Amino acid sequence: MRLSVAAAISHGRVFRHLGLGPRSRLDLLRNLVTALVRHERIEVPWARADEMRGYAERLIDYAKLGDTNERAMRMANFWLTEKDLIHKLFKVLAVRFQPHPGSYTRMLHIPNRDDIDRAKMAVIELKGNPFPPLIVPRRDTEKTLLNQLLKGYREDAQRAAVP
Amino acid sequence: LVMLFPPLPRLRSILQRCWGQLEHGLLLGFSRGPSPPWGPALAVQAPALLPESVNVTTENNEVPSLFDSILWMAAPKKRRTIEVNRCRRRNPNKLIKVKRNIDVCPECGNLKQKHVLCGYCYAKVKAETRLIRIEIGKKEGGPFNAPTVETVVLYDGEKPTEKEEGKRIIERARKRPSWFAQD
Repeated sequence: MRLSVAAAISHGRVFRHLGLGPRSRLDLLRNLVTALVRHERIEVPWARADEMRGYAERLIDYAKLGDTNERAMRMANFWLTEKDLIHKLFKVLAVRFQPHPGSYTRMLHIPNRDDIDRAKMAVIELKGNPFPPLIVPRRDTEKTLLNQLLKGYREDAQRAAVP
Repeated sequence: LVMLFPPLPRLRSILQRCWGQLEHGLLLGFSRGPSPPWGPALAVQAPALLPESVNVTTENNEVPSLFDSILWMAAPKKRRTIEVNRCRRRNPNKLIKVKRNIDVCPECGNLKQKHVLCGYCYAKVKAETRLIRIEIGKKEGGPFNAPTVETVVLYDGEKPTEKEEGKRIIERARKRPSWFAQD
């Protein structure tokens, strides 16, 4: 016998409750998508970044269909509140991401916000932006123990192979 | 009044007489003064207009006072001993969990959580992006002037290569930092 209503259980629900209601949530996400297209790197609460990521990537997929496509233009018109960004979307971002099949954004976790709420923050950026990179891929130096041991092994093997 | 089924006709007659007497008494009471309310009367052979019955009926109309409801409130029966208190307070689910995911950032040496960016390195990058954005703002002039070409940032003494043909160039008046490699 069911002891609780199905509406009160949220197993498997994927969409978060943001803002004041469904329309407010869409407006919030729309503002965030506009900001991302304008600034190409924004620092937002982690939940909002997570929600917004899917919408942003789908918008870029629509933009890849081309300028002349009616549906793509209507999508861009709805999702970008600042109309000069529609030009940027179709002429810059669609061209930049043409060779990529998917995943145009990068989302990274930031230390908690300094405010009293200590919110979990994330930075979300479009790949290929002109700003300095957040993660610098570092190669191990020659001086690490493992690399020195490998170097010694390689030299021993050469000395053995020569005579 | 609980009406029992009288097994004998004699008991029945006795009860009927008693009931009649009670009703008679009640009627007398009514005729004497203003009609009292017909509340749940006590099963006592007595005239209706008792001083207690009026109080009882008025109290039934009022909300039960705190003095009565205290009898139905939850309260601890015994003092919790310090041993029991210690068991509850020091139970592992009440203690603060120890974090084991703290590492040292290889770039700057500050502490960072494993799945989070280093705070110092991020602040460094954030400051530089802010300065670049100020330069972009100066170049664009007003609001809503997003360019339709890509952007490239060049530092002191750097010339645009042939890869940066049609791009908008943002000049920064400083030496190129080591963590911002030119692609």
